Amino acid sequence: MATERHYFEDVVPGEELVTPAMTITEAHVGLYQGVTGDSAVDAENVPELLPLAITTGLGWRVPRPPLAVKAFLSFEWEILEPVRVGDTIHSTSRSAMLRRMRDGGLVVKEQQIVDQRGRVVQRGRFTFLVEHRPKHP
Amino acid sequence: MTDQRRFFEDIPVGEEFESPGRTVTETDIVLFAGLSGDYNVLHTDAEFMKQSIFGERIAHGLLGLAIQAGLFTRATIAFATLAFVGLRWKFKGPIKIGDTIRVRAKVLAKKETSKPDRGVITLDRKVLNQRGEVVQEGETDLMVQRRRGD
Repeated sequence: MATERHYFEDVVPGEELVTPAMTITEAHVGLYQGVTGDSAVDAENVPELLPLAITTGLGWRVPRPPLAVKAFLSFEWEILEPVRVGDTIHSTSRSAMLRRMRDGGLVVKEQQIVDQRGRVVQRGRFTFLVEHRPKHP
Repeated sequence: MTDQRRFFEDIPVGEEFESPGRTVTETDIVLFAGLSGDYNVLHTDAEFMKQSIFGERIAHGLLGLAIQAGLFTRATIAFATLAFVGLRWKFKGPIKIGDTIRVRAKVLAKKETSKPDRGVITLDRKVLNQRGEVVQEGETDLMVQRRRGD
C-alpha cells in the first residue's frame, strides 16, 4: 500500500502551516560546509542557505500527509537578518496561489523563517508542481 | 598585508566566471537529507524513483543551489561581500547521482544603495551538467563593500 499523500486537490488556498522549530548548532554548520563547500559571508553567522535547507525538513514534520511534489520549480528569496549558532528557527507558510494544469497543479507558497525572538530572518515565495489526486486510487 | 578581495568598483558589469566541476554523489544526497531533514522519496527511495519520470533518485534542488554557491567561491578571488541579500532561482532539470555540475556566472547589474560604502551586485548564474544542460539558473544579489566610503 502506498503512503497517503496530500495532492493538489487537497491544498487549501490561504491555509497557514507552522513547522516545529530547530536550534542551529555548530554541527549543522560544519556538515553544511563539508557537503556543499559553501560558507557564510560573515563567519559570525551561519551560511545563508542553511536555515532554508533546515526549514524544508521542518516542513515535513508538520503532522499531515506529505505534499505530492512532482517538481520544485522556482523560488524568490530575501535574506533579511543574520542567523547565528544557537538561534532556534521555525517557518510559517501560506498557500498563496493555485493554478490547475494538465500534468499537475501549481502551488505558490509564501514562506517566512522566524527566529526565537519572533524576527522574520528570511522570506520568499516557492512554486511547486503538485500531482493531481489519482482518479482510481 | 593588502586586502586581496575585490570591491564593488573592481567588478565590472559583463565579467564572466566559470567554476571547476564537481561530481554529485549518493553520499552528498544522503548527507544533505540528514542535515536538512528532507527525506522526500525523490531523494531517498531508489525503488519508488525507478517508477518516476526521472528513473532514479535525484539531488535536492537546494543541494544543487548550495553546491553551486560553494563552486562559485572557487571561480573567482573573493568579493568584499557584506551580505548575501537575495535570489530568484529556477530548477530546470534534475541532478542525478554521478552528474558533474559547474557554475557559469556573469555580472548582470551593479546598483548604488542609500549607503555610500556599499553597492548591490546582481549575478546571473547557470548550473550546467556534464552535457552542458542548464539544470538550475537564476540571479543572486550580493551587497559588496566599496573601496572608499566617501
